[in-house]
Amino acid sequence: MTDAAAAPPLRLRVAVVASSEAARRRLTTLVTRSGHDVVEVDGSPDAILTDDASSAVPPARAVLLGWGGEEFAGWLASDAGPAQVDAALRAVAAGLTVCGTPLQTRGLDPLPEDPQVLLTPREIEVLAALGNGLTNKETARRLGISPNTVKFHIESLFRKLDAATRAEAVAKGIRLQVVDF
Amino acid sequence: MTDTAENPLMKLSDALVERAQLARPLVAAIAAGGHRMRSGTLWRKDVVVASEQRFPDLVDARVTLADGSTFTARLAGRDPGTNIVAFRLDGTPDPNPQTAGEAQPGAFALALGAGDGGVSVRLGIVRSVGPAWHSRAGGQIDRRITLDIALGREEEGGPVLDLGGGLLGISTLGPRGRVLVIPASTVDTVLEPLLSKGRVDRGWLGLALQPVLVPEALQPEAGRDRGLMIMGVAKDSPAAQANLHAGDILVMIAGESVTSPAALAKHLGPDSIGRQVELRVLRADKPLVLSVTVGTRPPG
Repeated sequence: MTDAAAAPPLRLRVAVVASSEAARRRLTTLVTRSGHDVVEVDGSPDAILTDDASSAVPPARAVLLGWGGEEFAGWLASDAGPAQVDAALRAVAAGLTVCGTPLQTRGLDPLPEDPQVLLTPREIEVLAALGNGLTNKETARRLGISPNTVKFHIESLFRKLDAATRAEAVAKGIRLQVVDF
Repeated sequence: MTDTAENPLMKLSDALVERAQLARPLVAAIAAGGHRMRSGTLWRKDVVVASEQRFPDLVDARVTLADGSTFTARLAGRDPGTNIVAFRLDGTPDPNPQTAGEAQPGAFALALGAGDGGVSVRLGIVRSVGPAWHSRAGGQIDRRITLDIALGREEEGGPVLDLGGGLLGISTLGPRGRVLVIPASTVDTVLEPLLSKGRVDRGWLGLALQPVLVPEALQPEAGRDRGLMIMGVAKDSPAAQANLHAGDILVMIAGESVTSPAALAKHLGPDSIGRQVELRVLRADKPLVLSVTVGTRPPG
Protein backbone atom coordinates (compact mmCIF):
# COMPACT_ATOMS: atom_id res chain seq x y z
CA MET A 1 0.00 0.00 0.00
CA THR A 2 1.13 3.56 -0.63
CA ASP A 3 1.10 6.33 1.95
CA ALA A 4 -1.81 7.92 0.17
CA ALA A 5 -4.07 5.07 1.25
CA ALA A 6 -3.45 5.92 4.88
CA ALA A 7 -4.06 9.66 4.41
CA PRO A 8 -6.94 11.17 6.40
CA PRO A 9 -10.23 11.57 4.50
CA LEU A 10 -10.03 14.55 2.20
CA ARG A 11 -12.16 17.57 2.94
CA LEU A 12 -13.79 18.56 -0.30
CA ARG A 13 -14.55 22.07 -1.46
CA VAL A 14 -18.25 21.90 -2.33
CA ALA A 15 -20.41 24.56 -3.97
CA VAL A 16 -24.13 24.74 -3.23
CA VAL A 17 -26.63 25.69 -5.94
CA ALA A 18 -30.12 25.89 -4.49
CA SER A 19 -33.61 26.60 -5.76
CA SER A 20 -34.51 28.81 -2.80
CA GLU A 21 -33.00 30.43 0.27
CA ALA A 22 -34.46 27.72 2.51
CA ALA A 23 -33.00 25.03 0.25
CA ARG A 24 -29.63 26.80 0.32
CA ARG A 25 -29.58 26.62 4.10
CA ARG A 26 -30.56 22.94 4.04
CA LEU A 27 -27.93 22.00 1.44
CA THR A 28 -25.26 24.05 3.21
CA THR A 29 -26.01 22.22 6.45
CA LEU A 30 -25.82 18.89 4.62
CA VAL A 31 -22.41 19.73 3.16
CA THR A 32 -21.10 20.81 6.55
CA ARG A 33 -22.52 17.78 8.33
CA SER A 34 -21.01 15.49 5.72
CA GLY A 35 -17.63 16.93 6.68
CA HIS A 36 -16.85 19.24 3.79
CA ASP A 37 -16.37 22.94 3.19
CA VAL A 38 -18.78 25.17 1.30
CA VAL A 39 -17.24 27.38 -1.40
CA GLU A 40 -18.62 29.64 -4.12
CA VAL A 41 -19.55 28.08 -7.48
CA ASP A 42 -16.84 30.06 -9.27
CA GLY A 43 -14.26 29.06 -6.66
CA SER A 44 -13.33 25.88 -8.58
CA PRO A 45 -15.16 23.46 -6.27
CA ASP A 46 -14.38 19.72 -6.21
CA ALA A 47 -18.08 18.94 -6.41
CA ILE A 48 -21.44 20.70 -6.46
CA LEU A 49 -24.55 19.88 -4.47
CA THR A 50 -27.83 21.10 -5.93
CA ASP A 51 -31.57 20.54 -5.60
CA ASP A 52 -32.29 22.36 -8.84
CA ALA A 53 -32.41 20.10 -11.91
CA SER A 54 -32.76 23.12 -14.19
CA SER A 55 -29.71 24.95 -12.88
CA ALA A 56 -26.80 25.48 -15.25
CA VAL A 57 -24.13 23.82 -13.09
CA PRO A 58 -21.54 21.58 -14.77
CA PRO A 59 -23.46 18.30 -14.43
CA ALA A 60 -20.33 16.13 -14.58
CA ARG A 61 -19.37 17.31 -11.09
CA ALA A 62 -22.80 17.83 -9.58
CA VAL A 63 -24.91 15.75 -7.23
CA LEU A 64 -28.63 16.36 -7.62
CA LEU A 65 -30.96 15.87 -4.67
CA GLY A 66 -34.34 14.93 -6.08
CA TRP A 67 -35.69 14.42 -9.53
CA GLY A 68 -34.83 15.22 -13.10
CA GLY A 69 -31.59 16.04 -14.87
CA GLU A 70 -30.53 12.79 -16.52
CA GLU A 71 -27.07 14.21 -17.11
CA PHE A 72 -26.02 14.72 -13.48
CA ALA A 73 -23.09 12.61 -12.32
CA GLY A 74 -24.76 12.01 -8.96
CA TRP A 75 -28.35 11.53 -8.16
CA LEU A 76 -29.80 11.03 -4.66
CA ALA A 77 -33.24 10.96 -3.09
CA SER A 78 -34.31 14.41 -1.92
CA ASP A 79 -34.26 13.22 1.71
CA ALA A 80 -30.74 11.71 1.55
CA GLY A 81 -28.78 12.10 4.78
CA PRO A 82 -25.23 13.38 5.41
CA ALA A 83 -23.64 9.92 5.06
CA GLN A 84 -25.09 9.40 1.59
CA VAL A 85 -24.30 12.97 0.58
CA ASP A 86 -20.70 12.52 1.75
CA ALA A 87 -20.32 9.30 -0.24
CA ALA A 88 -21.90 10.83 -3.34
CA LEU A 89 -19.77 14.00 -3.23
CA ARG A 90 -16.56 11.98 -2.85
CA ALA A 91 -17.53 9.67 -5.68
CA VAL A 92 -18.42 12.52 -8.04
CA ALA A 93 -15.25 14.42 -7.16
CA ALA A 94 -13.34 11.26 -8.09
CA GLY A 95 -15.06 11.15 -11.48
CA LEU A 96 -17.52 8.37 -10.65
CA THR A 97 -21.25 8.21 -11.18
CA VAL A 98 -23.69 7.76 -8.31
CA CYS A 99 -27.27 6.63 -8.42
CA GLY A 100 -29.29 6.54 -5.20
CA THR A 101 -31.42 3.41 -5.14
CA PRO A 102 -34.48 4.90 -3.40
CA LEU A 103 -35.26 6.78 -6.59
CA GLN A 104 -35.78 3.54 -8.44
CA THR A 105 -38.13 2.00 -5.96
CA ARG A 106 -40.63 4.73 -5.23
CA GLY A 107 -43.98 3.10 -5.57
CA LEU A 108 -45.91 6.14 -6.71
CA ASP A 109 -43.81 6.90 -9.75
CA PRO A 110 -45.82 6.50 -12.93
CA LEU A 111 -45.16 3.44 -15.03
CA PRO A 112 -43.76 4.38 -18.43
CA GLU A 113 -46.54 4.59 -21.02
CA ASP A 114 -44.27 5.01 -23.95
CA PRO A 115 -40.59 4.42 -23.11
CA GLN A 116 -38.49 7.02 -24.90
CA VAL A 117 -35.27 5.11 -25.24
CA LEU A 118 -35.62 1.51 -26.33
CA LEU A 119 -32.57 -0.71 -26.50
CA THR A 120 -32.45 -4.07 -28.21
CA PRO A 121 -31.70 -7.17 -26.10
CA ARG A 122 -28.18 -7.25 -27.57
CA GLU A 123 -27.57 -3.61 -26.71
CA ILE A 124 -28.61 -4.32 -23.13
CA GLU A 125 -26.08 -7.17 -22.95
CA VAL A 126 -23.35 -4.94 -24.36
CA LEU A 127 -24.26 -2.18 -21.91
CA ALA A 128 -24.05 -4.66 -19.02
CA ALA A 129 -20.58 -5.69 -20.24
CA LEU A 130 -19.51 -2.03 -20.37
CA GLY A 131 -20.82 -1.62 -16.84
CA ASN A 132 -18.63 -4.53 -15.75
CA GLY A 133 -15.61 -2.77 -17.23
CA LEU A 134 -15.04 -5.26 -20.04
CA THR A 135 -13.08 -4.20 -23.12
CA ASN A 136 -14.58 -4.55 -26.59
CA LYS A 137 -12.56 -7.72 -27.13
CA GLU A 138 -13.69 -9.26 -23.83
CA THR A 139 -17.28 -8.27 -24.55
CA ALA A 140 -17.10 -9.86 -27.99
CA ARG A 141 -15.74 -13.08 -26.52
CA ARG A 142 -18.37 -13.22 -23.80
CA LEU A 143 -21.27 -12.59 -26.18
CA GLY A 144 -19.89 -14.74 -28.98
CA ILE A 145 -19.88 -11.92 -31.53
CA SER A 146 -17.13 -10.06 -33.39
CA PRO A 147 -15.38 -7.00 -31.91
CA ASN A 148 -16.67 -5.02 -34.87
CA THR A 149 -20.24 -5.94 -33.99
CA VAL A 150 -19.57 -4.86 -30.40
CA LYS A 151 -18.31 -1.54 -31.71
CA PHE A 152 -21.43 -1.21 -33.82
CA HIS A 153 -23.65 -1.80 -30.76
CA ILE A 154 -21.67 0.67 -28.66
CA GLU A 155 -22.08 3.37 -31.33
CA SER A 156 -25.79 2.67 -31.37
CA LEU A 157 -25.90 2.90 -27.53
CA PHE A 158 -24.07 6.23 -27.61
CA ARG A 159 -26.57 7.54 -30.13
CA LYS A 160 -29.68 6.32 -28.31
CA LEU A 161 -28.49 7.36 -24.86
CA ASP A 162 -26.96 10.60 -26.13
CA ALA A 163 -23.70 9.61 -24.47
CA ALA A 164 -20.17 10.63 -25.42
CA THR A 165 -18.25 8.16 -23.24
CA ARG A 166 -18.65 4.59 -22.05
CA ALA A 167 -19.08 5.81 -18.46
CA GLU A 168 -21.84 8.17 -19.52
CA ALA A 169 -23.61 5.41 -21.46
CA VAL A 170 -23.50 3.14 -18.40
CA ALA A 171 -24.69 5.96 -16.13
CA LYS A 172 -27.64 6.71 -18.36
CA GLY A 173 -28.25 3.06 -19.07
CA ILE A 174 -28.69 2.08 -15.43
CA ARG A 175 -31.53 4.56 -15.26
CA LEU A 176 -33.42 2.53 -17.82
CA GLN A 177 -35.72 1.12 -15.28
CA VAL A 178 -36.72 -2.43 -14.76
CA VAL A 179 -40.27 -2.84 -13.51
CA ASP A 180 -41.63 -5.67 -11.39
CA PHE A 181 -44.87 -7.45 -12.11
CA MET B 1 -64.02 55.18 -5.49
CA THR B 2 -65.50 51.74 -5.62
CA ASP B 3 -67.52 50.65 -2.67
CA THR B 4 -65.74 47.78 -0.86
CA ALA B 5 -68.84 45.61 -1.22
CA GLU B 6 -68.73 46.15 -5.01
CA ASN B 7 -65.02 45.51 -5.40
CA PRO B 8 -64.73 42.24 -7.35
CA LEU B 9 -61.38 41.39 -5.77
CA MET B 10 -62.87 41.73 -2.29
CA LYS B 11 -65.78 39.58 -3.38
CA LEU B 12 -63.39 36.92 -4.65
CA SER B 13 -61.36 37.12 -1.47
CA ASP B 14 -64.48 36.82 0.70
CA ALA B 15 -65.68 33.86 -1.35
CA LEU B 16 -62.33 32.14 -0.85
CA VAL B 17 -62.45 32.73 2.87
CA GLU B 18 -65.94 31.27 2.95
CA ARG B 19 -64.86 28.20 0.96
CA ALA B 20 -61.88 27.66 3.22
CA GLN B 21 -64.11 27.94 6.29
CA LEU B 22 -66.54 25.37 4.91
CA ALA B 23 -63.69 22.96 4.14
CA ARG B 24 -61.99 23.20 7.54
CA PRO B 25 -63.90 20.25 9.07
CA LEU B 26 -62.17 17.99 6.52
CA VAL B 27 -58.67 18.79 7.74
CA ALA B 28 -57.03 16.33 10.11
CA ALA B 29 -53.74 17.05 11.89
CA ILE B 30 -51.99 13.75 12.57
CA ALA B 31 -49.47 13.56 15.40
CA ALA B 32 -47.33 10.57 16.27
CA GLY B 33 -44.40 10.21 18.64
CA GLY B 34 -41.35 12.17 17.60
CA HIS B 35 -42.69 13.27 14.23
CA ARG B 36 -43.75 16.69 13.03
CA MET B 37 -47.47 17.17 12.54
CA ARG B 38 -48.70 15.67 9.28
CA SER B 39 -51.92 16.26 7.36
CA GLY B 40 -54.83 14.05 6.52
CA THR B 41 -58.41 14.30 5.36
CA LEU B 42 -61.49 13.30 7.35
CA TRP B 43 -62.97 11.31 4.50
CA ARG B 44 -66.08 10.08 6.21
CA LYS B 45 -67.28 9.53 9.75
CA ASP B 46 -64.47 7.85 11.73
CA VAL B 47 -62.13 7.50 8.73
CA VAL B 48 -59.10 9.68 8.00
CA VAL B 49 -57.03 9.17 4.87
CA ALA B 50 -53.55 10.56 4.27
CA SER B 51 -50.50 10.24 2.02
CA GLU B 52 -48.99 6.78 2.51
CA GLN B 53 -45.44 7.88 1.70
CA ARG B 54 -45.49 10.26 4.68
CA PHE B 55 -46.19 7.40 7.11
CA PRO B 56 -43.51 4.78 6.54
CA ASP B 57 -43.64 3.17 9.97
CA LEU B 58 -46.74 4.27 11.81
CA VAL B 59 -49.34 2.24 13.65
CA ASP B 60 -51.22 4.60 15.97
CA ALA B 61 -51.54 8.35 16.14
CA ARG B 62 -53.51 11.26 17.58
CA VAL B 63 -55.74 13.18 15.21
CA THR B 64 -56.83 16.75 15.88
CA LEU B 65 -59.63 18.27 13.83
CA ALA B 66 -59.95 21.96 13.04
CA ASP B 67 -62.39 22.53 15.90
CA GLY B 68 -59.76 21.32 18.35
CA SER B 69 -61.34 17.93 19.11
CA THR B 70 -58.83 15.08 19.35
CA PHE B 71 -59.14 11.36 18.65
CA THR B 72 -57.04 8.23 18.88
CA ALA B 73 -56.39 6.95 15.36
CA ARG B 74 -55.55 3.33 14.56
CA LEU B 75 -53.88 2.42 11.29
CA ALA B 76 -56.47 0.53 9.25
CA GLY B 77 -54.47 -0.12 6.11
CA ARG B 78 -52.00 1.22 3.60
CA ASP B 79 -51.66 1.07 -0.17
CA PRO B 80 -48.34 2.23 -1.65
CA GLY B 81 -49.83 1.64 -5.12
CA THR B 82 -52.15 4.63 -4.79
CA ASN B 83 -50.27 6.33 -1.93
CA ILE B 84 -53.22 6.11 0.44
CA VAL B 85 -53.12 5.25 4.13
CA ALA B 86 -56.36 4.93 6.12
CA PHE B 87 -56.92 5.45 9.85
CA ARG B 88 -59.91 4.49 11.93
CA LEU B 89 -61.12 6.87 14.62
CA ASP B 90 -63.95 6.74 17.07
CA GLY B 91 -66.74 9.29 17.29
CA THR B 92 -65.84 11.94 14.72
CA PRO B 93 -68.55 13.96 13.04
CA ASP B 94 -69.60 13.01 9.50
CA PRO B 95 -67.81 15.55 7.25
CA ASN B 96 -70.18 14.77 4.40
CA PRO B 97 -68.10 16.41 1.68
CA GLN B 98 -69.65 17.34 -1.65
CA THR B 99 -68.67 15.35 -4.69
CA ALA B 100 -66.64 17.35 -7.20
CA GLY B 101 -67.24 17.27 -10.92
CA GLU B 102 -64.47 16.44 -13.40
CA ALA B 103 -61.37 18.50 -12.67
CA GLN B 104 -60.78 21.13 -15.34
CA PRO B 105 -57.35 22.57 -16.20
CA GLY B 106 -57.30 26.22 -15.29
CA ALA B 107 -59.98 25.94 -12.62
CA PHE B 108 -59.19 27.32 -9.18
CA ALA B 109 -58.42 24.79 -6.49
CA LEU B 110 -57.86 25.05 -2.75
CA ALA B 111 -55.42 22.72 -0.99
CA LEU B 112 -55.83 22.60 2.76
CA GLY B 113 -53.57 21.04 5.32
CA ALA B 114 -52.56 21.06 8.94
CA GLY B 115 -50.04 23.81 9.44
CA ASP B 116 -48.82 26.40 11.90
CA GLY B 117 -50.93 25.02 14.69
CA GLY B 118 -54.13 25.29 12.68
CA VAL B 119 -55.39 24.91 9.15
CA SER B 120 -53.29 26.09 6.21
CA VAL B 121 -54.92 27.07 2.93
CA ARG B 122 -53.27 27.23 -0.48
CA LEU B 123 -54.85 28.63 -3.62
CA GLY B 124 -53.86 27.79 -7.17
CA ILE B 125 -55.22 26.34 -10.34
CA VAL B 126 -55.54 22.85 -11.73
CA ARG B 127 -52.38 22.63 -13.85
CA SER B 128 -53.23 19.58 -15.92
CA VAL B 129 -55.68 16.72 -16.08
CA GLY B 130 -54.67 13.47 -17.74
CA PRO B 131 -56.22 10.02 -18.11
CA ALA B 132 -55.94 7.16 -15.64
CA TRP B 133 -52.36 6.10 -14.88
CA HIS B 134 -50.55 3.26 -13.18
CA SER B 135 -47.93 3.65 -10.51
CA ARG B 136 -44.82 1.55 -10.26
CA ALA B 137 -46.27 -0.24 -7.23
CA GLY B 138 -49.18 -1.39 -9.39
CA GLY B 139 -51.94 0.99 -8.36
CA GLN B 140 -54.36 2.48 -10.83
CA ILE B 141 -55.14 6.15 -10.27
CA ASP B 142 -58.26 7.36 -12.07
CA ARG B 143 -56.94 10.71 -13.30
CA ARG B 144 -53.56 12.35 -13.43
CA ILE B 145 -54.38 15.72 -11.88
CA THR B 146 -51.51 18.14 -11.17
CA LEU B 147 -51.88 21.44 -9.34
CA ASP B 148 -50.12 24.75 -9.78
CA ILE B 149 -49.74 24.97 -6.02
CA ALA B 150 -46.66 24.72 -3.82
CA LEU B 151 -47.12 22.42 -0.85
CA GLY B 152 -45.09 21.73 2.27
CA ARG B 153 -44.43 18.14 3.28
CA GLU B 154 -46.54 18.60 6.39
CA GLU B 155 -49.50 19.68 4.24
CA GLU B 156 -49.40 16.65 1.94
CA GLY B 157 -52.48 14.44 2.31
CA GLY B 158 -54.93 17.22 3.07
CA PRO B 159 -58.11 17.80 1.06
CA VAL B 160 -58.13 19.51 -2.35
CA LEU B 161 -61.38 21.24 -3.29
CA ASP B 162 -62.80 23.06 -6.26
CA LEU B 163 -64.38 26.46 -5.67
CA GLY B 164 -67.83 24.92 -5.71
CA GLY B 165 -66.80 23.14 -2.51
CA GLY B 166 -66.53 19.74 -4.20
CA LEU B 167 -63.81 17.41 -2.90
CA LEU B 168 -61.39 16.65 -5.76
CA GLY B 169 -59.24 14.32 -3.68
CA ILE B 170 -56.17 14.45 -1.45
CA SER B 171 -52.89 16.16 -2.22
CA THR B 172 -49.70 14.21 -2.85
CA LEU B 173 -46.13 15.23 -3.57
CA GLY B 174 -45.08 13.46 -6.74
CA PRO B 175 -41.83 13.18 -8.68
CA ARG B 176 -39.97 16.44 -9.37
CA GLY B 177 -41.83 18.19 -6.59
CA ARG B 178 -45.08 18.13 -8.56
CA VAL B 179 -48.23 18.38 -6.50
CA LEU B 180 -50.68 15.72 -7.58
CA VAL B 181 -54.22 14.97 -6.54
CA ILE B 182 -55.20 11.41 -5.72
CA PRO B 183 -58.79 11.66 -7.03
CA ALA B 184 -61.73 11.09 -4.70
CA SER B 185 -62.94 8.18 -6.83
CA THR B 186 -59.59 6.41 -6.37
CA VAL B 187 -59.71 6.97 -2.60
CA ASP B 188 -63.24 5.53 -2.51
CA THR B 189 -62.16 2.48 -4.52
CA VAL B 190 -59.23 1.51 -2.32
CA LEU B 191 -60.88 2.46 0.96
CA GLU B 192 -63.12 -0.63 1.11
CA PRO B 193 -60.29 -3.20 0.92
CA LEU B 194 -58.10 -1.02 3.15
CA LEU B 195 -60.72 -0.92 5.91
CA SER B 196 -61.68 -4.60 5.62
CA LYS B 197 -58.27 -6.23 4.96
CA GLY B 198 -55.68 -3.54 5.57
CA ARG B 199 -54.31 -3.75 2.05
CA VAL B 200 -55.21 -3.80 -1.63
CA ASP B 201 -54.33 -7.04 -3.41
CA ARG B 202 -53.23 -6.85 -7.02
CA GLY B 203 -52.19 -9.31 -9.70
CA TRP B 204 -48.62 -10.58 -9.87
CA LEU B 205 -46.55 -12.70 -12.24
CA GLY B 206 -43.14 -12.54 -10.57
CA LEU B 207 -41.30 -10.93 -13.47
CA ALA B 208 -38.69 -8.17 -13.65
CA LEU B 209 -39.19 -6.57 -17.03
CA GLN B 210 -37.29 -4.11 -19.19
CA PRO B 211 -38.89 -2.46 -22.22
CA VAL B 212 -36.91 -3.44 -25.32
CA LEU B 213 -36.87 -2.87 -29.03
CA VAL B 214 -37.59 -6.16 -30.75
CA PRO B 215 -34.75 -6.88 -33.20
CA GLU B 216 -35.90 -6.13 -36.74
CA ALA B 217 -35.67 -9.72 -37.93
CA LEU B 218 -38.16 -10.78 -35.23
CA GLN B 219 -40.66 -8.00 -35.67
CA PRO B 220 -42.81 -10.00 -38.11
CA GLU B 221 -43.05 -12.82 -35.53
CA ALA B 222 -43.75 -10.39 -32.71
CA GLY B 223 -46.21 -8.39 -34.76
CA ARG B 224 -44.77 -5.19 -33.28
CA ASP B 225 -41.48 -3.42 -32.73
CA ARG B 226 -41.39 -3.42 -28.93
CA GLY B 227 -41.93 -5.72 -26.00
CA LEU B 228 -40.83 -6.35 -22.42
CA MET B 229 -37.72 -8.45 -21.90
CA ILE B 230 -37.67 -10.69 -18.85
CA MET B 231 -34.64 -9.76 -16.74
CA GLY B 232 -35.55 -11.98 -13.82
CA VAL B 233 -38.14 -14.49 -12.61
CA ALA B 234 -39.04 -14.68 -8.91
CA LYS B 235 -38.61 -18.11 -7.33
CA ASP B 236 -41.84 -20.13 -7.03
CA SER B 237 -43.78 -17.29 -8.69
CA PRO B 238 -46.59 -17.80 -11.22
CA ALA B 239 -44.08 -16.94 -13.95
CA ALA B 240 -41.62 -19.59 -12.68
CA GLN B 241 -44.40 -22.20 -12.61
CA ALA B 242 -45.36 -21.24 -16.16
CA ASN B 243 -41.76 -21.90 -17.19
CA LEU B 244 -40.88 -18.35 -18.25
CA HIS B 245 -37.16 -17.60 -18.42
CA ALA B 246 -34.88 -14.59 -18.28
CA GLY B 247 -34.21 -13.48 -21.84
CA ASP B 248 -37.73 -14.19 -23.09
CA ILE B 249 -39.40 -11.16 -24.63
CA LEU B 250 -43.02 -10.75 -23.63
CA VAL B 251 -45.07 -9.33 -26.50
CA MET B 252 -48.70 -10.17 -25.69
CA ILE B 253 -50.95 -10.91 -22.72
CA ALA B 254 -54.51 -12.20 -23.11
CA GLY B 255 -54.47 -11.35 -26.81
CA GLU B 256 -53.35 -7.75 -26.34
CA SER B 257 -49.91 -6.38 -27.07
CA VAL B 258 -47.71 -5.18 -24.21
CA THR B 259 -45.74 -2.36 -25.73
CA SER B 260 -45.09 -0.67 -22.38
CA PRO B 261 -45.13 -1.46 -18.64
CA ALA B 262 -48.36 0.55 -18.34
CA ALA B 263 -50.00 -1.68 -20.96
CA LEU B 264 -49.19 -4.74 -18.86
CA ALA B 265 -50.39 -3.13 -15.62
CA LYS B 266 -53.91 -2.92 -17.01
CA HIS B 267 -54.07 -6.72 -16.98
CA LEU B 268 -52.92 -7.11 -13.39
CA GLY B 269 -55.49 -5.19 -11.36
CA PRO B 270 -57.21 -6.56 -8.23
CA ASP B 271 -59.71 -8.58 -10.29
CA SER B 272 -56.96 -10.42 -12.21
CA ILE B 273 -55.91 -12.61 -9.25
CA GLY B 274 -56.51 -16.30 -9.95
CA ARG B 275 -57.24 -15.69 -13.61
CA GLN B 276 -55.52 -17.84 -16.20
CA VAL B 277 -54.01 -15.79 -19.02
CA GLU B 278 -52.08 -16.56 -22.18
CA LEU B 279 -48.68 -14.97 -22.66
CA ARG B 280 -46.97 -14.76 -26.02
CA VAL B 281 -43.19 -14.54 -25.76
CA LEU B 282 -40.21 -14.68 -28.08
CA ARG B 283 -37.65 -17.24 -26.90
CA ALA B 284 -34.49 -17.88 -28.84
CA ASP B 285 -36.01 -15.94 -31.75
CA LYS B 286 -39.13 -18.15 -31.86
CA PRO B 287 -42.66 -17.29 -30.74
CA LEU B 288 -44.06 -19.33 -27.88
CA VAL B 289 -47.41 -19.28 -26.08
CA LEU B 290 -47.52 -20.07 -22.36
CA SER B 291 -50.37 -20.09 -19.89
CA VAL B 292 -49.96 -18.51 -16.46
CA THR B 293 -52.24 -18.20 -13.44
CA VAL B 294 -52.05 -14.68 -12.04
CA GLY B 295 -50.95 -14.64 -8.40
CA THR B 296 -51.14 -12.02 -5.65
CA ARG B 297 -48.51 -9.31 -5.52
CA PRO B 298 -46.47 -9.67 -2.33
CA PRO B 299 -46.48 -6.60 -0.09
CA GLY B 300 -43.61 -4.09 -0.33
